[in-house]
Order: sequence, then structure tokens, then C-alpha cells
Amino acid sequence: MKTTRTTARAPSAQDQYTVDVFTVVNGAPAQWRVDTRTTLLEALRDTAGLTGTKRGCDQGACGACTVHVDGQRVLSCLMLAAQVDGRQVTTVEGLAGELGPHPLQEAFMRHDAFQCGFCTPGQLMSAACLLREGRAGSDADIREYMSGNLCRCGAYDNIVAAIRDVAKGTD
Amino acid sequence: MRAFLYDRPTAVGEAVAAVAADPQAAFLAGGTTQVDLMKDGVWTPDRLVDITRLPLRGILVESQQLKVGALTTMEQLAAEPVVEQRLTFVREALLLGASVQLRNMATIGGNLLQRTRCRYFRDPTVSACNRRSPDSGCAAVDNVARMHAVLGVDERCIALHASDVAVPLIAVEASVLVDGPSGQRRIPLTEFWVRADEGPSIENVLGHGDLITEIDIPLLPQGWRSGYLKVRDRASYEFALTSAAVALQMDGDMIGDIRIALGGVGSVPWRAREAEEMLRGTHVDPVRFEQAGRAVMASAFTVPGTAFKVDLAVRTLSRQLLTMTEASR
Amino acid sequence: MTATKPDLGTWVGKGIDRVDGPHKVTGSAPYSSDIALPGMLHAVVVTSTIPAGTVTKIDTSALLTLPGVRAVFTHENFPRLNAPPPVLFGEAPVAPMQDGRITFHGQEIAVVVADTPQEATEAARLIEVTYAAEPPLLDPAGGRLETLALSPDTSRGDTEAGWAAADVRVGATYTTPENTNNPLGLMGCVAAWDGDHLEIHDSTQGTNALRTTLAVMFGVPESGVRVHVPYLGGGFGAGLNQWPYKLLAAGAARELGRPVKLMLTRPQMFKLVGHRPSSEHQVRIGAARDGTLTMIEHRATCLSSIDFPAVGLLTSGTPHLYQCPNVATVERTVRLNRRYPTSMRAPGEAEGNWAIETAMDELAHELGMDPLELRLHNLATELDPATGKPWSSNAVIECCRVGAELFGWSRRDPRPSSMREGDLLIGWGMATAGFFAYMPMSQARVTVYADGTAAVRSAATDIGTGTYTIITQLTADLLGLHPQQVDFQLGDSDLPASAHSGGSGLASSLSNAVIDAVSHLQGALLDLAAEDSPLHGLGPDDVVCRDGALCRRDDLSVRVPIADLLAGQSLVEASGDGRLRPPDAAAAGMVHAGAYGARFVEVAIDPMIGRLRVRRVVSVTDGGRILNQKLARSQILGATVGGIGQALFEDTLTDPGTGRVANGTFGDYLVAVNADVPEIEAVFVGEPDRYTPSGTKGIGEIGLVGIAAAIGNAVFHATGRRLRDLPMTIDQLMM
Repeated sequence: MKTTRTTARAPSAQDQYTVDVFTVVNGAPAQWRVDTRTTLLEALRDTAGLTGTKRGCDQGACGACTVHVDGQRVLSCLMLAAQVDGRQVTTVEGLAGELGPHPLQEAFMRHDAFQCGFCTPGQLMSAACLLREGRAGSDADIREYMSGNLCRCGAYDNIVAAIRDVAKGTD
Repeated sequence: MRAFLYDRPTAVGEAVAAVAADPQAAFLAGGTTQVDLMKDGVWTPDRLVDITRLPLRGILVESQQLKVGALTTMEQLAAEPVVEQRLTFVREALLLGASVQLRNMATIGGNLLQRTRCRYFRDPTVSACNRRSPDSGCAAVDNVARMHAVLGVDERCIALHASDVAVPLIAVEASVLVDGPSGQRRIPLTEFWVRADEGPSIENVLGHGDLITEIDIPLLPQGWRSGYLKVRDRASYEFALTSAAVALQMDGDMIGDIRIALGGVGSVPWRAREAEEMLRGTHVDPVRFEQAGRAVMASAFTVPGTAFKVDLAVRTLSRQLLTMTEASR
Repeated sequence: MTATKPDLGTWVGKGIDRVDGPHKVTGSAPYSSDIALPGMLHAVVVTSTIPAGTVTKIDTSALLTLPGVRAVFTHENFPRLNAPPPVLFGEAPVAPMQDGRITFHGQEIAVVVADTPQEATEAARLIEVTYAAEPPLLDPAGGRLETLALSPDTSRGDTEAGWAAADVRVGATYTTPENTNNPLGLMGCVAAWDGDHLEIHDSTQGTNALRTTLAVMFGVPESGVRVHVPYLGGGFGAGLNQWPYKLLAAGAARELGRPVKLMLTRPQMFKLVGHRPSSEHQVRIGAARDGTLTMIEHRATCLSSIDFPAVGLLTSGTPHLYQCPNVATVERTVRLNRRYPTSMRAPGEAEGNWAIETAMDELAHELGMDPLELRLHNLATELDPATGKPWSSNAVIECCRVGAELFGWSRRDPRPSSMREGDLLIGWGMATAGFFAYMPMSQARVTVYADGTAAVRSAATDIGTGTYTIITQLTADLLGLHPQQVDFQLGDSDLPASAHSGGSGLASSLSNAVIDAVSHLQGALLDLAAEDSPLHGLGPDDVVCRDGALCRRDDLSVRVPIADLLAGQSLVEASGDGRLRPPDAAAAGMVHAGAYGARFVEVAIDPMIGRLRVRRVVSVTDGGRILNQKLARSQILGATVGGIGQALFEDTLTDPGTGRVANGTFGDYLVAVNADVPEIEAVFVGEPDRYTPSGTKGIGEIGLVGIAAAIGNAVFHATGRRLRDLPMTIDQLMM
């Protein structure tokens, strides 16, 4: 059987429960050898040291762990690290371009679209996809398609304003 | 989470064989239900066979139906133009479910197999759960039940099947194609799920090693229209308290033909045949709409926390019928 | 406190962007969950599955053979701790795992420590615990009523006489459910010992309270305990107390001689870091035919845990908002086998206001009087009716008038169910709000350097309210600098001690400490001036700092560069230490006023399916001096969202037989999402408060107060149905 678990090395008892993941994170190749149980969120935070992606619930119910996999927003807490083998992952650390911050990062600061900041990486990653998805046409659409990202500080109005601002600027 | 072996085959036959060969193995697709359950310790497979790289993604549009690869995501299916035109209520149900992030992960096959959200089922420290452990009892019946079912349930289990998209899918009588250790077979969704009152610990007719490879969705005939109404506390990102999927074909000011299914109320997605029969060939009549809803809910089993759902489901259906027949009045 | 009013106005008030914003939008702000230390182990808490009794046996031998598991702590081997010390609004409820006694379902009974979080979590799942269960006390009717320290009974006049004299009377019972703070950041810490020295990275709202608690309970010198909280993922009160998890992490780290990281799970956030307890309010209000109040009676109870009482404050606002000669408040709590309560954003006020402001709406309806007119007729704006002394400031009338104008209240048809749009019933409701003044002690140090820059240091925290930014702005004004020249360092208990972020008290407390510190800095700089200096002989309040120079306050052209003052004494920096110097209330002849507000809400209800949407909110707040318009507005917006959640969604449910949290996830406990929130208009009115030099009032919580009542009153206006039990859910709204 073809699998990606079995690599060239002979699996020992311990190795059976590890998996090698070859991925690209924020444009740079990455190789992780992790416990098969490791979620993408854990691999990013604990293995890759990219702690910008946050754990707010670990149950797929808050959106704080939102990252992009092959350009689509997903919840990294419910995806196994093994599942991004061969895929492209983008986190908040990779949101800014070489020329400076992403327009959303600037708009979030300008509109005070966060308070404690804990949900912010997830909000930003979600919003970046929202723009690409063409779902920022109205405030109602922005609110609906950003509802997978909880903000307990309640910065929603300012998040909408920031996204609206960037959406208009890129029209 | 319990340690597990991880395989990622690239062919359907390999995947089926891998699971069939190991009683403690299971398939893993989008993970939105399974990874969560593994963290909760409710589900403890020894081996996960990741099927996300199998060639089961994509939508084939035929003249009378859609053939949807089981790994097609909810967002992908919702984006299909034919779904918007000919299966409006499927699209609406998809987009009213979960969040964009989850819809990008969750597959259509996995959605049909999602496990109940019951907090007693999902907490292994609660011992009484007939669904998790046969003959142990049902903690939900005696405790806090709001997001629970009232149809197809009894005092042994009130677990809700919380899917939105399964509601219109059962209304249009979609079917699934299954590959398994004993070969391939087709199962109509109307025969796919097992009601909790028919055996709380069995959720569907699949056997170990059976893999849904495709969902075939009949297109509504030209001239039909359809819609999905979801009622919930929050405006978004919440399971339904009640929902109604209605497809109908008007014949002047008469309802020519109609399909109805209800969500948020059943241990399985609930086809409302009684209501269909009462309304087919009748004039638009709000009183009759309500009577049709009452007929569906007549067999409800309620506990204090779910009693309101009977009335709410009737109202949800009535409102959706009113909305959909309004243009004809 | 210095008598001189500080020069504020160049930066203070301006809506500058958060100074910590760049860290938050790039993911580089380190929260406690982001800390990783070399050699760090991972701990997971195991909680009880019975509400009352004792642990008789935990078999740990099997667990210790599992991969990666380093230790399992139970009450049998966890280090003995000293009793928790009293600290202001933040004490540890108990010393955890000192015996096998269980007082609530979900209590900490073991800690598993392993090399990785996955290993620790899996071992914790497999633990087998044997209990000797005892009958739990879970029914409030079976409990003994107790008073709460912060909520004494109050009485003025004769309420029975006021009731008898009333032309119109209302009386009803109102309830609020348990709400859970649920900051988005999971709480947790990393603890590391070096001998008797402990460093801990935590998500506490108060660094010094945690330091004191750890030092006392572990019996080590306070000087050796250091708490780091540069960022925390919200708190809303959940970070006030020194919860057992912190002590468990520190104890495990000490025993194992390795850094230990302990993060709570979301379900544990419902059990282990407090909540707003459920409450019941019996309210009677009487009025004369013209709307003049003749009596208010407010009897409230809330639930407490066996070992740790609730904060209370349910009736704290009632004696103060309205002029009324006859007012009585009675507040009690019942101790049950339930998890520990704590403060949650606007504790007590949010619940009490729901009851009183709903009752006022009922009274207005009975009187046939506009609800706004009833408020305007009775609000106590000049004198505190409880003491008869003048308020230090009170713009509640202005809140009402400005809000009514912005909302268009005059166009309201008073008849219930009179405003419709298609299938929808439209309702307009309003409520007034007050939030008590609270100003705990803070200290700060302001330092200037020869290069013209300055630093402010205080052990305060910024829970997202904007402490980093507002203190930077204030210091810039006080020193005549640009905010970019001011570095505010906080979140470290080694810095000058500070109050917690809580009770809406930090901004006032810390801003006044900084003003005091700058005054002392000016004194320190004057002390450096040579005898021939043009500043020689002046007092600290005769000078100000401007653009890197010390200047005569009354003639800024008389100036000496700070660099020269420092160089003259071979110094590289000069500092001033300051603290809050609360005025003597009696001598001041006034009552320290808190913040006020008025809320106006429009709801649309689909009565057939019970669907309610909040469509408009106008929230007007008297917040005294506003230090940053943009961030202050955010506080009101956020609190409004919290109020919408309180009104419509939030309800922590408990299994009646076991005391287990029944809906302890973000999938089951609903908080407002983006689509639930309309565009909120938040406006500030009023003047700087005259009680302290900074003139600020706390605005972190007032925005939540009144929202639930305004929504409920709008529901009545839309439907004619009066709801008295939160949250207002679909099953109550189907018509």
C-alpha cells in the first residue's frame, strides 16, 4: 500500500506514531517530524514556533486558529499536521508582503479593529480570504462571512469598517 | 487524543482495504467532526486512513442530476452554478451551515456522517449515553436538552442529526454510492440513516470499511423552486433549532407538487411525507400549512427543554411555505 | 494630590492608534500561551466528575508508564501550600489539592505532567479516580442565605409608606442566568523556579496580586517572585483571581525542577476561572400619578460556591440612580456545590440594572408615560440621593437627551406593537445606566533620559482596554513630548506596583499615579538645578517639562534642557515615583461619581418564528475625561456586544443532579457573532470629573450596563410581551 507515513527509514515502534510532513509555510519549505496526533495548529505553534496563530477553543468553534491552506481559510485546530503534507500554508506571520504590511493589517490598526488582540490573527487571515472570495460587497455580507471568527472584546463594528475600507480600496 | 497510526492511500480500493482489515481503523476526511471527537476522547481509533487525497473531489453535471464526489467540500458544492439554479435550497442550506472555514474543510460525504452535537454524547465522563455505550442510559433526557431532537427519538436517546444540507438532500431523494469490502452499492438517503428510536447506538446502515464515494443529487425539474429556512438563536454560525427545506412546483395558485424535509428536529434528517401529501394539489392556505406541520410533529417525543421545538417547527414550515407560495398569490 | 491641574490636550483625548497595534496585527505579541522555555514540561488538569465528596483513590502507577509522562500530582503528593492571602478583588479561592475534598463538579483533583501536551492530555484522559460521593447541595431552595461583604443592606425612608402612598405600583421578579467570562485567550501559565525564585508568565489581570499570592502560599520572599503579563487575551474579570491552575503549575514546576506550562482548555474555562453567577431580583417600585417615584425596593439573591462567595453588587446601583425618598435594598447569596464565581464585566450592575430598568419601563407603561420622560423626571443628577452630597460629576441627563436626539426617540409611537414592517414588529426601547466609581491604588515611575526620551513603568496590565496607549498619550502631554518618545513598560510585577485591570478602575488610578510621578520627576529635576539656574528655587508645580527641557510653567521661554540638568550632576536619567493620592472624600465635600449612560435600541422581531435582531443601538456615555476617543469608543462598542450577548444568548447551563456544566464549549455556549451586531453609535458626553486631577472615569464596563434592559424594553414595545428572564430566546419570543 502506498502511504506517506512510511518513509525510507525502517519504522520502529515509536516511529509508527510519527509522521514526516513536507510543507511550505509562508513561502518557505518546512519539514516536520511530528506525533501523528499533532494538529496543524500545534505544528505551527510548537514545532515551527509560529505562535501568531492562536488557540481559542481547539474545537473548531471560534476561528482564532484560522490559516490558509492552498489559499483557502481553514481551522488549523481541526486539521492534522499530516494533512498539509505537500500543501502551502500561510499564517499571520506571512500575511505582510515584502513591501510592508498587508492593507488589512493597516486598516485593522486604523479602525481599532481589535482590543486584546487574541482573535486578530484569525480575523485577519479570514478577512484576507473574504476579500479574495468576493464576499465584502456589503456590510451584511462581511458580517455573515466573518461570523466564524469570534471576538469576545466585541470589536465587530470596527472589523467590518476595516474590511470595508480595504474592499473599497481594492475595487 | 489517543495515539494512532496514520495512512494516506491514493486509491479508493486501498483505503477500503486498509480500514476493512483493521477493526480499530477508520477513515478521516475533512476532520471537522472526527478530530474534535478524538480530542474529546469519545472516538479512539487506532489507525486513521486519510482519504483526502483520493480522487473523489469534483462535481459532474448531468441533465437530471449532479454526481458529487464525496470529498467535494461544502463551499465547492455551494459555488456550483447549477446548484444555485436548480437546487437553491441545497445552496442555501450549505451556506447557512457552520462557517466559511469549516465549509472549506468539511466534505459533503463527511457532512452526511457527522455525529450528534449532544454534549452528553461528547463528554466521556458522562456514563449514561446509549449512543456511545449501549444500554447505559441517556443523560440528556434528564438534564439540559435544547439542541436535541423530538422526532425519531424516545427516552433512550434524543440525539439530533444537526446537518443542514442533509435536509434538502433527503427532500430531493439524493443517494450515496458506497464502496465497501463487499463491493459497490447505492443507498438512497431515505434509507441511509437509522433513527435513534430504532436503535440509539446505530446511526446509519454503513458497515465497517464502507466508504461513501459519491453523492448523486437529482436536479429539481424546471419550473420548481426551493428554499431553506433556518431558525436559530444567533444570526450565524450556529446549528438549527429548527429548519425547513421546501421545494415545490406551483400550478396556478395550487401547489402542484412539493417536497418537504425538516431539520433541527430529528434524530435523522426528517422527510415530511405527511405534510407533502396534505399539501399536494391544494390551494395556498395558511391554515392548511399549519395543519400539515402539526401532522409531521404529531409523533414528537419531547422533554422540557425541547418542547418548544414542536411549535417552532410547525411555524418554521408554515413561514417557509408562505414565503415560497407568496409570489403565486 | 497636587492642586495644579495638569496641562492636557495635545495628545490626551486624541484617537491615536494603539501603540501595541503592530504587535497584535502581526502575531508577534506574546501571550502566556505563546511562551516556551528550554526544558519545559506540559501539565494538564484533571477535574472531578462529582460535585461533593472526597477522592478516595487515584491510581497513578499506570499513567506513569505511558510515553512521556513525568509525574502525576494529586492531593497525596502535591506540595502543601500556605493559606491564600487577602488581595484586593483577586484572592485565590483555596489552596488547591491539599486534601481530597470536592466541593464542585469540575474541581481540580490531579495534574498530569508530560513531555508534550498530547502526551499529558492523553494520560489525563486515562486517569481512574475513585470517589466517596456525598449528597450535593445544588438546589438554591435548600441553601442558607448569607450576606455579602460588598453588598450590605441599605435603607432610606420608609418603603412601605412609599408603597402605600403610590398611585401606580409595579412589582415583579427578574432573573439572569450564569454567564461565563470566556475571554478568547485560553488562560494558563508557564512557571519556572530557580531556587526560591519563581518566574511566571500568566494571563492574570493583576501582576502584583499574583506575586503576593504565590509568595505567601509557597512561603518564599515576595522579592523573588516575578510575574510577566505583557499581553493577555482578554479577561472580563476571569483574570482577576489567583485561580488554582496557577498554583498547580507553580507547585509542579517546583517539585520537578523544570519549567511547567499549564494551559486550560475551553471547557475548563467554564469551570476553573469564574463566572457571573445567576441571580434573581424581586423589585417593587411605586410612583405618584405624575411619575415621581415614591419607593424602590430591590431584593436580590445570587449563587455562590461552597468555598468562595460571589462578588455580589447586584443592588449596588439601586440607591444612587434615582431621586426617591424611600429605597431599600437587600442582597443575599446561597452557597451551593457549584464552581467558583467571580466578577464578569459590570458585575452586579449588569444584572441589577436589568431588573430595575425593566421595572422602570413597566412603571412607565402603567403610568402611560414616555419611558424617557419617567427617567428624566426622576434621575438624581446633582446630589447622590443616598448621601445627600453632590456628585463629583453627573451627566446622565445629557446622556439621555443626546441619545434620544441621535436615535430619533421623539418619533416613537408609544403603543406596543404599533410599529411594523411587513411581517416584522419593530420596537424601540431605552434604559439608563450607572457604574460605580472604583479606584484602587497604583504606582508608576516616570523616567527621563538625556536623549530626550522618556519611560513610564508600572506593573499594570493591558487587557485590551488600551492601557499601553492612554498612558503613553498622557505622559507625552505631561512631559511635552511626542508619544513616540514615550515608552510605557507594563505587565511585569518588578515594576512599580499597580492595581489590576478591573472594576473600570485602572485608567483613573494609573493616570493619577503618572501625574503624581511627573510632579515628583519635576521636583527631582529641580533638585539638579544649580544655584545660578533660572529655575532655582521654584517648586515642582511651578515647572513643566516641554520638548526635553524643564520650563517655568508661567513662562515657557525660561527653560533648561533636561540633558544639561542631568549632565550637571553626572546623571544619565532622572525619575519620579508617583502614586494615586485619592482625595479625602469628606474634605472634598463630594461623592466620587462613576460613569453614566443611556442606551437606545431598535429591535425587529419576526413573531411567527421568534426571530429577534437588534437593528440599531445608540449608546451615550458620561465617561469624564476621555483619554483616547478611538479606544474609548471601542470600549463602548465591545461592551455593547457583551450586552447583546447577555440579553439574547449567554446562558451557562448546569445539570441539575450533578452540577456539571452542560454547555461548556463555544459551540454550545453562544456569544454574539459579527452578524448579530448592528452598527453601534457610541458617543461621549460630560466633562472631566472633578474628583481627581486626571478627570477620568472608568469606561470599560458601563457600556454593557443597560443594554439588556433596553433590548427587553424594545421587545415589549414591539410585541406587548414583557420578558423578565434572560436570555430572551426564541422560545420566549414566538407570538
